[in-house]
Parts: sequence; C-alpha cells; structure tokens
Amino acid sequence: MIEFWNPYAPLASRQRRLLGVGSVLALLLAWSLVAASGLVSPTKLPAPWDVLAALSYLSWHEGDSMLLTATLWSVGRLLVAGMLVIVIGIPVGIVMGAAPQVNAALSPLVDPFRSAPVVALLPILVMWLGIGETMKIAFLFIGAVVYLIPMVRDAIQAVPQSYWIGARDLGATPWESIYRAVIPMAMPRIADAVIVAFSVMWTYITVAEYVNARQGLGQLIQNARRFSAWDQVFAGIIVIIALALATYQFMVWLKRRLYPWETQQ
Amino acid sequence: MEKPAAAAGTGAAAKSLSVVLRDIVQEYPTPGGNLTRVIDRVSLSFDQPGINMLLGPSGCGKSTLLHMLGGVRPMGVDTPTAGAVLIDGVECHGPHDDAVMVFQRYANRPDLTVFDNVAFPFRLKLWKSLVPEVEWRQRVAEILKAVGLSDKLGLRPAQLSGGQNQRVALARALVLRPRILLMDEPFGALDAQTRDEMQRLLIELYQSWPCLVVFVTHDVTEALVLGDRVIVLSTQPARVADDFVISEERPRSASWQRSREAQALEERILEQLHQASPGKGQVRVTV
Repeated sequence: MIEFWNPYAPLASRQRRLLGVGSVLALLLAWSLVAASGLVSPTKLPAPWDVLAALSYLSWHEGDSMLLTATLWSVGRLLVAGMLVIVIGIPVGIVMGAAPQVNAALSPLVDPFRSAPVVALLPILVMWLGIGETMKIAFLFIGAVVYLIPMVRDAIQAVPQSYWIGARDLGATPWESIYRAVIPMAMPRIADAVIVAFSVMWTYITVAEYVNARQGLGQLIQNARRFSAWDQVFAGIIVIIALALATYQFMVWLKRRLYPWETQQ
Repeated sequence: MEKPAAAAGTGAAAKSLSVVLRDIVQEYPTPGGNLTRVIDRVSLSFDQPGINMLLGPSGCGKSTLLHMLGGVRPMGVDTPTAGAVLIDGVECHGPHDDAVMVFQRYANRPDLTVFDNVAFPFRLKLWKSLVPEVEWRQRVAEILKAVGLSDKLGLRPAQLSGGQNQRVALARALVLRPRILLMDEPFGALDAQTRDEMQRLLIELYQSWPCLVVFVTHDVTEALVLGDRVIVLSTQPARVADDFVISEERPRSASWQRSREAQALEERILEQLHQASPGKGQVRVTV
C-alpha cells in the first residue's frame, strides 16, 4: 500500500481501476437501497432497474430504436459543429498566438466570452437564425470555440522561444519559423484544446436541442420530462455521459498516437 | 544579400572572409525605465578561419555579441544600440546565411528523428532552393557519420544523451557548411567527461570543415584547450580586457595544459578579469 498524503506516488493501474469501479458500485448500491427502501417516491428518484428497463425500452421497442436515432442526430450535430470549431477556431487561435498585434486586437472580443452566459445567447440565436439546424450548430459552435481559441493561442505562446529563434537562425522566414517549428511543437496542446471543445459541446447538446428539436438526445430527455418519465430522463443523461466519456477516451488515445514524443520529454 | 558560401560548395568557405564588430554599444531598458549599458565600445575583427574564444564571466554580454554576429534578436530590442556588424564589409541587420548558431540549450525538435533534425534546414525555402535533394541527403549522411550518429538516424532526442543531442545540434549547423559558426556555451550544460569528448569532436570537425568559429564560454580551461585566439571580456559593461593568440597545435595534450605556458596564460586571464571588473561575475576553471 502506498502512503496516503503523497500526490506523486504512482498508483498501480489495477489499484486505480479497483478504486474507481468500487466507488461507482458503491453509488449504485446506495441508489438501489434508497429506491428499494421506499424512502423516496419513484416519481422523484427512479430505481436503477427502472432506468435500466427504460434504457432497454428506448434501445429497442416495436422494431425501432429511439435511442439510436437520437444518438445519431446528436452525434451528427456535434460533429458538424466540431468540424467548424476546428476549421475556424484553430487558425484564429494560431494567428492570435503567433502575432501579438492580432492577439491584442482580438482578445478583448474573444476572452470575455469564456465567462459569458452562453446559454443566454440561445434566444438571440433563435431570433437571428430561426429554430432549425443552423441555430443548433451555431450554438454548439459558439459554446466551444470561445474555449478553444484562447487555449490554442496559449498553446502557441507556450512553445519555448528557442525553437523560433533556432529556425530563424537557420534561414527560416518569420512565418516559416511559425509553421515549421512553433506549430508542430504546439500540436499536443492544440489537441488538448480540441478535446476540451468536444467535452464542452457534449454538455451543451441538451441545451442546443431544447428548442424545436424533433430528434436528438436532448429532445429525448425533454420529451420524457414532459411525460414525467423520470426513468427515461435518467437513461438519457446516462447515455450522454457515456458518449462524452467515450469521445474523450478516444480523443486522448488518438492524441497519444499522433504525438508520442510529448510524454517522452 | 550575398549568396551563402554553401552554394559554392566546400573549400570556398575558407576564402575571403571579413567579420568586423565596430564600436559596438548595447543598452537595455531596465524595469525602472533607465538604460543599462551591457556592452561598451567593443571592436573586434576576424579575417581568417580559426577558433576564436569569447571568454568572460556569466552575464557579461558575450552571448549578446554572438547573437549580433548571427543577426538574431531574442530580446526584441534593437541591436546594437550603436556601432555596426560588418560581414565582408556589408553592414548586417538581420539573420544572414553566412552564420549558423549552436545554442547551449540544443534546439533539437522532440518530434523529429535525428535525421530529420539535421535535415531540418533543407525543408526551408532558402536552402531548398540552394541545395538539391540528392546533395543534401548525402551531406546529412556524411555529417551524421562525422559526429558519430550514423546508427541513430531514426531515434528521437528523448532517446539520446545530452552529448548526443549536442552532436545533433552541431551536425545541423555544420551540414550547411557555414562560413561562420557561432557557438553559445554549447557544452556548458554537459558533464566534464562528455564536455571533453565534445571538445575533441569539435577539433576534428574543424579540421575537416575549417571556418570562422566564434565560441562563447565562461570556462577558462575550455578557452585554452580550443582557442587559436582568446578574447577576454570584462563585465558590466563588457569591454575587451585582453586579446591574444595561442599557437600550440590542437589537440592540446594534458601535459601542455599543465605546462608553464598554459599556467601563465590562465593566470594572465584571471588577472585581467580581476583588474577589469573586480568582484563582478564568475569564470570557471576546470581541472
């Protein structure tokens, strides 16, 4: 057993997994006990097995999987918004990080949005863009890009100056030094920014699908709530968490594959 | 701008060379809003291949002088404040192709292999237009053999030792066959044994590709082991305190290093430094 108050102690992966699974099981157990004891009415807290039943009902009912359809719609919106975040956010962040003048001009426009109530923008977006897909994609895009841009800028600025100077000394033009030396060195942290952006979008997906969605996980939850089907609400939330977690794990794995040198330094 | 020597191939590097620092003054703004003078009217000239040691205490401004020779401006301030750097009689303002620098913190890219680190300059527009791919591939292979890394082509910097990383940095500089090689305390971060090896390697490489080497160090022993000429700089501000030639052939044996001549030179250097800037800065003498 490793000593307790030591944040630098390496925990064996078996032990780490054991502790993690243990606490999830403990929560499930507590939940089951509370539900089974009848202390809380099932209309306020559905039992785990009810949620499980709802999950299976949503997954397959009368030759149709509502869950799959909803998931595909939500994932589709997320991917479209995610592509836009990457294609627009990364270049803007890079230019801001690489050129102090651009940063000085744009950061007052971008940085405050990190703490702005993005959800409050929704009615405005509805007013401007209507209630269709454009509005939903735009909402996800804005919610994520305001995190991504400053992170990409910081990633560029965190690259040690020596790489830029070294490239300049070898005859690179200033721009060549940026894209041949600085950007490649910033890539792992830019990848981190993309991972954060996707996490943020998963948290906003229900909000984006709040208005007039006919399909999607947010709509599924919204619909279930309307009929007070709390077991289905819980099932929907659990599915979103699982999808967000899977996205995160996949992207972290991808990042390690793409930039193995980052951890070797 | 003049065509770099590399375009003309080997051999041409040695011919007609003139590097002049004329009345260099450098001042930096202090946080208090004043100006502090770090270099005070330094004039030096170099007109032939050779290993020239710029020796001075840490923080005396010798690296700043070296950066000026390379046209590199890390501080974002105008350098020099007064005076001029002339290369072949032409005033030099920015980075130029004649000089290549080797830094103490080797600027090797962790994401590139040894081969790609050394080949890096040839991915740049400038060198791509000057050296055809067949030739640079051959040059990279040749220089990697010369620095003893032929069997490490596919490794990344994290898999190499400090000395091997510095060999990569040296190879990347020499593969361009520069007329001027600027070395900014390149071996300062290495352990004593590795530093000895690297000094020997530098001497070998210099014999194969003679060029004008300006080598900054605060190590008196290093200056005596490597230098054809030793320029001693005082500190705060930097002035030329001494400037002399060592004619002893390289590699210089341990017995020469213990000889009366070497001892006398060492004492002379320490004496000069003490007189020029008593109590300021430190130099190192390795045994």
